[in-house]
Amino acid sequence: MVDIEIEIDGKVVHGNSGESVISIADREGIEIPRFCYHKKLSVSANCRMCLIDIKGNPKPQPACSTLASAGMKLYTKNAKAKAAQKAVMEFLLINHPLDCPICDQGGECELQDVAMEYGSDVSVFNEGKRIVADKDIGALIHTDMTRCIHCTRCIRFGAEVAGIVEMGGTGRGEDLKIEPFLSEGIQSELSGNMIDVCPVGALTSKPFRFEVRSWQMNSIQSIARHDLVGSNIFTQTHKGKVKRVVARDNESVNETWISDRDRFSYQGLASEKRCLVPKIKVNNEWREASWQEALDFAVNGIKNNNSDGSKFGALTSKNATLEELYLLQKLTRGMGSDNLDYRSDFANPAAANILKSSISLAELEDIDHALIVGSHLRLEQPMINHRIRKATLNGASVSAINAQTFDSNYRISNNLLTAPQNTLATLSGVLKAVLNEASEKQPDYLNSVVVEQAHKDIADNLLNAENAVVILGEHVNGNPDSDGISQLVKDIAEASQAQTLNVSLTSNSLAAEQVGFRPVNGKNALEILASDLNSFVMFDIYPDFDCFNPESAIENLSRSDAFVVSLNSFEDDSVLKYSDVVLPIASFYETSGTHVNIDNISQSYSASVKSAGDSKPGWKVIKVLADLLEIQGFEFVDSCEVADEALSMTPSTSVARAKITGSEIPEISTVWQCAPYSVDALVRHSSSLQETQIGQINVASVSKATAKLLKLSEGDLFKGVPVNINNSVAEGCVFVHTYQPRKC
Amino acid sequence: MISDQAKKEIDIWVAKYPTGRQSSAVMEALKIVQAENGGSLTNDLIKAVADYLDMPRINAQEVATFYENYNHKPVGKHVIRFCHNISCMLNGADDLISYLETKLGVKTGEARKDGLVSVKKVECLGACVGAPMCQIGDKYFENLTEQRIDEILDGLK
Amino acid sequence: MNKVCFKNINKDNPSSLATYEASGGYKVWRKILKGELSQGKILDELKTSGLRGRGGAGFPTGLKWSFMPRNQEGQKYVVCNSDEGEPGTCKDRDILRFNPHAVIEGMAIAGYVMKASVGYNYIRGEFMEPYYRFEEALNEAYGAGLLGEDINDSKITFNLYTHLGAGAYICGEETALLESIEGKKGQPRFKPPFPANVGLYGKPTTINNTESFASVPDILAKGGQWFADLGVPNSGGCKLFSVTGHVNNPANFEIPMGTPFSDLLEMAGGLREGRKLKAVIPGGSSTPVLPAKAALKMNMDYDSIDKAGSMLGAGSVIIMDDTTCMVKALTRLAHFYYDESCGQCTPCREGTGWIYRVLKRIMDGHGKNEDLDLLLSVQDKIIGNTICALGDAAAMPVESFIRHFRKEFEHYIKNGESMVAKDG
Ligand SMILES: Cc1cc2nc3c(=O)[nH]c(=O)nc-3n(C[C@H](O)[C@H](O)[C@H](O)COP(=O)(O)O)c2cc1C
Ligand code: SF4
Ligand code: FES
Ligand code: FES
Repeated sequence: MVDIEIEIDGKVVHGNSGESVISIADREGIEIPRFCYHKKLSVSANCRMCLIDIKGNPKPQPACSTLASAGMKLYTKNAKAKAAQKAVMEFLLINHPLDCPICDQGGECELQDVAMEYGSDVSVFNEGKRIVADKDIGALIHTDMTRCIHCTRCIRFGAEVAGIVEMGGTGRGEDLKIEPFLSEGIQSELSGNMIDVCPVGALTSKPFRFEVRSWQMNSIQSIARHDLVGSNIFTQTHKGKVKRVVARDNESVNETWISDRDRFSYQGLASEKRCLVPKIKVNNEWREASWQEALDFAVNGIKNNNSDGSKFGALTSKNATLEELYLLQKLTRGMGSDNLDYRSDFANPAAANILKSSISLAELEDIDHALIVGSHLRLEQPMINHRIRKATLNGASVSAINAQTFDSNYRISNNLLTAPQNTLATLSGVLKAVLNEASEKQPDYLNSVVVEQAHKDIADNLLNAENAVVILGEHVNGNPDSDGISQLVKDIAEASQAQTLNVSLTSNSLAAEQVGFRPVNGKNALEILASDLNSFVMFDIYPDFDCFNPESAIENLSRSDAFVVSLNSFEDDSVLKYSDVVLPIASFYETSGTHVNIDNISQSYSASVKSAGDSKPGWKVIKVLADLLEIQGFEFVDSCEVADEALSMTPSTSVARAKITGSEIPEISTVWQCAPYSVDALVRHSSSLQETQIGQINVASVSKATAKLLKLSEGDLFKGVPVNINNSVAEGCVFVHTYQPRKC
Repeated sequence: MISDQAKKEIDIWVAKYPTGRQSSAVMEALKIVQAENGGSLTNDLIKAVADYLDMPRINAQEVATFYENYNHKPVGKHVIRFCHNISCMLNGADDLISYLETKLGVKTGEARKDGLVSVKKVECLGACVGAPMCQIGDKYFENLTEQRIDEILDGLK
Repeated sequence: MNKVCFKNINKDNPSSLATYEASGGYKVWRKILKGELSQGKILDELKTSGLRGRGGAGFPTGLKWSFMPRNQEGQKYVVCNSDEGEPGTCKDRDILRFNPHAVIEGMAIAGYVMKASVGYNYIRGEFMEPYYRFEEALNEAYGAGLLGEDINDSKITFNLYTHLGAGAYICGEETALLESIEGKKGQPRFKPPFPANVGLYGKPTTINNTESFASVPDILAKGGQWFADLGVPNSGGCKLFSVTGHVNNPANFEIPMGTPFSDLLEMAGGLREGRKLKAVIPGGSSTPVLPAKAALKMNMDYDSIDKAGSMLGAGSVIIMDDTTCMVKALTRLAHFYYDESCGQCTPCREGTGWIYRVLKRIMDGHGKNEDLDLLLSVQDKIIGNTICALGDAAAMPVESFIRHFRKEFEHYIKNGESMVAKDG
């Protein structure tokens, strides 16, 4: 790429040779109308709206497909360019409905905008407009294909970004119809971006339909909190309600895209199951209470059961804000307790942060090899997976050590199926292979390890790469060997000079790490939930999804001598079962807060709307509880002060080396993965997400041989989940992927 | 869904293209299964072809609906594809098409009730020096007249 | 007449290898295999010959071949365009049926010149008889050791395959054709990049028409100058013309470039008894129509037809006598382009339907006075604004039909019926 000079409309501008003229013009603020061009998609040059006059060229040329070369002289607004643009505009409008006032895209339609500027007033077309029958393409995207202008952005988005070809153009000529195959609909986890790329009202948000007009809404900058990326979004609100979520550009975080989970979860805010008023349990009867009464009730309960704090414990979900995590941590420690944790769904919370990430989101695009360990990356972290996909498009290869072969949107060239109980052994083999090939000294614990060819292959992949990354995913959390596994991943990365990416700590877990929301000497989540502690604060916990062993957790917390204060946004029967007080708190978008993403970037956001009913932002509730408990140091006026204090903490970085000793090895084990649209209470209450295929994931996959051992046949229920016998799963385990509550 | 014989035929086409480019054979594959299915395609067949060639189904659907040689409704055993483009038109194609319609008792675009024939008006078939002309199966019939059409129809069984 | 592509047409078994070899076929190829003919020499001869692409655009073949980055590493392709879908055109069909080996030899030579080891001949799906003949010829050629890997230890590899179309005129457009070989819809690609750089499967590719390839062996056997001398300056050689429509003896004629149109008309048996020449479309439906007077003055070569106001195109001469209703003829052509537009780019997708509907309305007796200006304005908005030349092809006839026969259109609009009593 060399810097060159060209002239646009008489203005001398700079660009790179080989860069498209339209992108130079965009950078220079020179307006060229366009529909098919999208900066993140391949060029198709089919709409012809961007035709401009290039000196020396008899025909007008598309600015999007014309590459700049030194000395070029372009005219974007002379008579020739204008005539071409007007002609195209007229053709686009002859078959387009002119009923903008009733169109869902009205007010934010690229066609409408451009037509105002480039269209002619009278249409001389009176041959009858084309009408296109619509079909149902799923719960998220509404179609109104009569409005389609065939720009193919949605098709290209699917093929190039989402990585599955679902949309296509059938028929030809005037009958060209943009649609997915038959009734298969659009299933990608990134599908909602098609709505954003569609320049007209052909693809619009289904949940948003008919809600309000776009210009009636306020757009508020916010951050999506369902994953480790913290995608930048706008929440669009009307009369105090979030009506829509759209992507906000941030190249280093989410580029221009967001996942469907981030886009459609807001629907859960309007659920009927919201906690709207405080409730207290008196004589085993629940009744509503005023905030004052409920807070007093809670504080008395805690005080009565606690003289020195040693019997107090606090658990939080990993979706809490940095501020909430910080304050609850401070409260707990202020109580004199060190029993606190955010890892209530871990089989072995001992490990957790052994593995730190060493590579940024943007850098992921430049890797040449990725080794994925224990992750269905595409559904766990769609936007991170997207970066890996981009790397593969640039030639990177990917291998995996997983318990199942997952549907991926790139090729996984080397997939080593490994049951959880064998993961430690496999990784040991890989480490030994890496050290062997690098002729490095081996630690004693590898002495008895046998290196198999498959281990060598994985090691070779890593060693042959110049810029590899090892990714550790969610599945490790349910593995009793998680500390050893994390340690080995770290060792393998070190020995092969690969980067690391730990996506096992999702959502806002890194904020929890930042504020030290885990015990130093006290009890961890598992211990808290199995202990004889007698007063608890449970922040945003829904035990059936959030606890490793829900049944025993609920049972223990329901002890008559246990006093449980729960803070929740959504009603939950299990919570009611063990709690003594339920304090309603704000959900996503209803509170200000901070998300710490995988790049360790703290992204703060303000509340987009007021919290539902009488519920209050969690950080305020914790602050008041602390005040009432007479704990010092809670004199905060706003959440920014809390965030400042939280971020000034220096989290302890020293992590003890984990011992590589396998725990008891069960013959057959289970991997339990929560389906992506069930990972937190908000998404679980988003009806449109629940209706999608991904929302309906509910399958216990098992190999033929293992099924036989377990006496399972197709369609049987395994822990309540229908069994599917297939050969994608490692022998010796059942892979459960489900929207259902967890069963240990 | 796809017979072994059809798969064999498809594989011959697949072999013509570079490895990994098996979807180049989709046009022929669709023709092969269409022929086996009595001259028209079904959605299931399109799906089966896509799956067999390991390509996105919608792409197979695109091909099946873009090209004119695929039928999406049942057709007669013999499809008479009558050219009505300029050279044939200048030589009386329109009258002959009407003659054919009356004689067979079918409209263009339809199959006769007994399933023996259907008539389709098509664009130039590249045999304009033999105008007016039509195609039945693999064969071209050129320099058509009413008598010639009678003879041809008599030969259709 | 019939000196190059058609030279064996009247022999027994014209398509066989024996016939072809008896007339000097594969001599050039064998020379190449023996290492006796260099790439540079071939390119020189081709340039001298003045051979211009016979598919319609008339681009000099030698020049096109020299654009291929032939020394670039990796796979390269040679593709033959036997899609022949332009209304009025039916010459490639006869080349495939009667002289398939000339196409094979021409493609093999091209493969050698451009260091492309694989060729595809894209034959339109309806051409089953030509396809079988071509496949037969391919088998013969392979059988005779003329194709394959490292042919005769020459280190030259050339494999040739047929790809069949499935009914889409647009696949004659070279980049749509490449898409089609890739198993996709035939949607043209925007250019640049040109196929010579990014072609089939993304690899450098040269595409030529069947007749262009079939002309190559003789040019190299007899010399570029010999070929050039057959024709006139800027239009080298002889060329196949398909004469169709209102003539007594419609047929393909291979005649020297520059032959007067009137001679060609005579070869085709002239007009029918008592009819008068009204109009001629000289190069296939996409080229502008000419009124009789202009046509009768032209010669059959690029420059002369250009001067007359049309284009030589693919050499498809459509003759219309005085029984022709020009409104109906244009409507039929408009329907064709409307039917065949691939649909990807706006002006063609929307414009071809618009034009057809207005014409159809006129034919149905609901024409309006403004319609002619409307038609002219719509075609003007298509021309030059589309991805491929189908848009221009759809637009040009509209302009020329209305310009030359405006009265006839006005009469139809006014009276709801044709000025011409009854068309042929
Ligand atoms: C709409 C359209 C249809 C075409 N159809 C054909 C065709 O059927 N056969 C052909 O050889 N060229 C056809 N062409 C021209 C080709 O794009 C291309 O120019 C030609 O194959 C190049 O070969 P040549 O240089 O030997 O002529 C068509 C072009 C357009 C725009
Ligand atoms: S001009 Fe017509 S045929 Fe050519 S690309 Fe555009 S829509 Fe397709
Ligand atoms: S934006 Fe350039 S052609 Fe569509
Ligand atoms: S016009 Fe009928 S075959 Fe060409």
